[in-house]
Order: sequence, then C-alpha cells, then structure tokens
Amino acid sequence: MSALAEILFGGLFQGSLYAMMAVGLALVWTTIGVFNFSHGVFMMLGAYIAWQLVELGLPAAVAFPVAVVVMAGVGWILQASVVRPLIGRPNIVLVVVITTLAAGSLIENGALTIWGPRSKQIPALIAGNTTIGGVGVSLHQIAIIVITPLILAALWMFLNRTRLGLALRAVAQNEDASHLVGLNVTALYGLAFAIAASLAGLAGIFMGGYRFMSPVMGSDPLLKALIVVVFGGISSISGPIFAAYLIGFFEAACSYYFGLYWTPALLFGVLILTLMVRPEGIFASRSRGLA
Amino acid sequence: MNPILSVEGVTAGYGRVTVLHDISLEAGRFGNVGLFGPNGHGKTTLLRAISGLLQPKSGRIRFDGQDIVGHSARAIVGAGLIHVPQGNRLFPDLSIADCMALGAYSPRARPHEAENREKVIKLFPKLAERWRQRVRTLSGGERQMVSIGTALMSHPRLLILDEPTLGLAPKIKDELCASVMDISRGGVPLIVVEQDIEFLLELTQQLYLVNHGAVATEIKPGESLDHGEIMSMYFGH
Ligand SMILES: Nc1ncnc2c1ncn2[C@@H]1O[C@H](COP(=O)(O)OP(=O)(O)O)[C@@H](O)[C@H]1O
Ligand SMILES: [Mg+2]
Repeated sequence: MSALAEILFGGLFQGSLYAMMAVGLALVWTTIGVFNFSHGVFMMLGAYIAWQLVELGLPAAVAFPVAVVVMAGVGWILQASVVRPLIGRPNIVLVVVITTLAAGSLIENGALTIWGPRSKQIPALIAGNTTIGGVGVSLHQIAIIVITPLILAALWMFLNRTRLGLALRAVAQNEDASHLVGLNVTALYGLAFAIAASLAGLAGIFMGGYRFMSPVMGSDPLLKALIVVVFGGISSISGPIFAAYLIGFFEAACSYYFGLYWTPALLFGVLILTLMVRPEGIFASRSRGLA
Repeated sequence: MNPILSVEGVTAGYGRVTVLHDISLEAGRFGNVGLFGPNGHGKTTLLRAISGLLQPKSGRIRFDGQDIVGHSARAIVGAGLIHVPQGNRLFPDLSIADCMALGAYSPRARPHEAENREKVIKLFPKLAERWRQRVRTLSGGERQMVSIGTALMSHPRLLILDEPTLGLAPKIKDELCASVMDISRGGVPLIVVEQDIEFLLELTQQLYLVNHGAVATEIKPGESLDHGEIMSMYFGH
C-alpha cells in the first residue's frame, strides 16, 4: 500500500513540475515554431525574483504573484529582442536555439553576479507536513499537486474558450492566414512567450520552496521539459501535459524499484523506443497546433 | 467613380529577386477586376503586396485614396481590404465556427458578426452542416467556401480572391462561381485572379493580363473580346 502511495505521490508531484515547464515550451513551439532554450532560465529567474521580493519584506502571497507577472514581462522582452527579429528566416529554428541559449547564459551569469552562488530557499506555499497512505509528505508538495492541474485547466480554457486563445491557436497553424484576418501576430508571439515565462517562473517558485536554489537550477528541468515535449508530441499542449505525468509516474516507479541511479537510463531507453515506434510522439497529431 | 484601389508603379519581390516590375493598375472604377496570365508571373505576389504581407520595394498602393504601403496587414484588414489567399490552406485544426469567429476578429467586423454569419450560411448552407468540423477534414470545395466565408465575416469593402476555383471538380467549380457572382451582386467589389477566362469574362468588367510582373494588356469595358483573342494574348505574340 505504501509503495503504491509513494509512487502515486511522487509521480503526481514530479509530473506537475514537468507539466508546468513543458506546457510553456510547447506553447512557444506551437505558436512560433521555435524551441526556447532560455526556458530553464525563466524558471530560475522566477524563483530568484520571488526570493528577492520576500527578502525585501513582501509576504509570499504578494511576492509570488508579482514575480509571475514580472516573468511575463521578461518573456515578452526576450521574445522581442532575440526571437522576433529573426522571424521569417529559413533557418529560424536553429538560429533561435543559439540566440535563446545565449540570452539564457547571459541571464544566468547576471543572476550569479547579482545574487551570488550561495544557495537560497523561498518559503513553502504551505508550511508543514502530513502523512497520506503511510507516506510522509509536505503540504507544499500537496499544494503543487493541487494547483498545477487548476492552472493547466485555466490555460486550456483560455486557449479553447476565449477569442484571444483562439487567435493564439490560429497563429500556431497559419501565420499568413492569421495576418489576413487581422490578427496582431507580433503581439500574439509576445503573449505566447509571456505565458510560457510566467508558467516557468511559477515552476521555479514551486521548486525553490522545497529545494535549494542556484543560478543553474533551471537546466535540468529544461532538459526534462524537452524530453516531455518530444515524448508527448510537439504538436499540442495536451500531449505534453499527459506525457509529463506519464514520465513523472514512470520515474517514481523506477526510482522506487530500481533506485534513482538507474532512472535516467531507463527513461531514455523507453523514450528512444517510443520515438522509434512513433516518431511524432505518443499523443501527437500530424500538424503543429494548439489543441 | 474613383478607383477604390490603385497600384502605382509597384516593384516588389523576394530577397534579391524582383517579381513585380513597376506594375500599375486600378480597381473599382468600372466594377469587378479580373487578373489573368501565365503561372509564376507575379499575380499572387501583387496580391500579397496589396494586403501588406509583402513590403514593396517602391511604388504606391492606394486604398480608398490612402497610401497603404508600409501599413501592417492588420491595419489593411481593419480598413476593409480583405484577401483570400491562393490554395485555401487556412487553419487545418480549427473548426468552421472558429474560422468564422476569426474572420470577425477586427474591430470593424465585430459589430456585424451575427449578420455576416447569416449571410455566409445562406451563401454556403453546406458549411452550417459541418459547423463544428475541423477544416482539415473538409473537401477542397468546402475549404474554399470556408476561406471565402471567413473573408465575408471580415465585412469586406473590397474582396480579393486568388484563384478561388483552383483544383476543384467542374461541378463544384460551377457552384462556387455562382456563389462568387452572388457576393458581387450583394455589392462587394471584387478583384479576382483566375485561370478560367470564361468565368472572368462573366464576373468582371475590366481585365488585366499580367506578364513578367507587369501589366501586358488592359481590357476595359466595351472592349469586349472573345475567348479566342484572349487565349492568343495569353500565349502571346
Ligand atoms: N515566397 C517566395 N519566395 C521566393 N520566390 C517566390 C515566392 N513566392 C513566389 N515566388 C516567385 O515569384 C514569381 C511569381 O510568383 P507568383 O506571384 O506566385 O505568380 P502567379 O501567382 O502569377 O502564379 C515566381 O517566379 C515564383 O517562383
Ligand atoms: Mg498565384
């Protein structure tokens, strides 16, 4: 019983963090058709900004939302500076890998200069611990497990039930046709980046609440998010969400039965096998588009 | 009547390749305008320049008297100049309903959304049957209806159609031509690029033969030509 509870809990928790990260990456891919390699740095920056605000004396309930909003601005600015000028280039995918990596490493070094290498921690969403099914868990982790699906559902509603969300989905599918119905394509690109950066920043706040922060804290989550997105299929945002939880459960089960040491190898093994059978990802449809 | 659209000495192309060489033409003075000519000679490029998808290297494009060169595609749509592009690629994973909502996205079109939706459904009753279906699951003819329907949702003051009947079966093509005639009778001036000269002769009052990125011949009302003469112009010399 406790084995099942541990795997279930670990899977839900990891899956939530992965989903939070991957969905932003997928949003940017589907709308603009580029991979944002500063996505991990967004996560780090969100956490550090939240930490700084708390240090300045703001209560967490204010600091966290403010940090998320600031991250939206950061995402917008990054898009305008290192992505937008390149749109329309035939080799945009590769060029943007380089520009976002460069911007990311600049921000990372900036964070190191400003905040130093000493690890930091931000307050948990909810302090305290409890026991569920014989497994000791923190209330912070439970909060993450509960909040993440709500946020993802809100994002889904936004994309599928509002006019602005419809516009974002349209841009993802056909840029010329979007221009021809009068959409502000540039602003929508900015919006996609802003949303992605906010979600990454929030994931950073989640992470900084139970683990020590460092300026490179985002690089492993970025890698995981990339895996999730490729595994789930890069054509939608629902694919990566399912894939995030699937991988979360897989990792939780692996580390329970085989130990943490073997988990990455097993994960990559399954990933490679999957992509050999279904190169477009397990939940993918044929085209790019937000669904 | 003043022309609603005039293209004055436009030069445009892609990168270093120039496709349009100092092209000039007018629309709306005599009614609908047809463009024809061999493939690859710049008709689509001209329409892209008009609707702001492509920045001309030089020249002026006036819509309703105002120079729109340098205006964003969004501003041009906002002014009521609506372009249905060639090849009906559209939004493959959106439903017909979504496309219609997008058509009415601009602030100018939004107040007319309900009224225009009725018009579109009256014109293309087939779309109503498939309202929630994704565009990718529709036939070529239906996709073209969605393209044109989306444009009508934008409340056009001038409607540009780029080869609307391209690749359609004869029967579907006839139906679509009839619908385009209906749109014209409804009072929307048209610029139509078509390979089917018969259809252009029936629909338009003024024709331009576009050749090597410039107007080779203009055919004004009254100078009615028969099919044979046009064909000989088409294939030249
Ligand atoms: N996106 C593009 N990039 C480069 N060249 C293009 C592009 N689109 C069209 N062309 C070229 O411009 C010329 C005119 O094409 P187009 O305007 O599509 O002609 P038409 O519509 O009359 O068939 C062709 O030689 C074509 O190869
Ligand atoms: Mg063409």
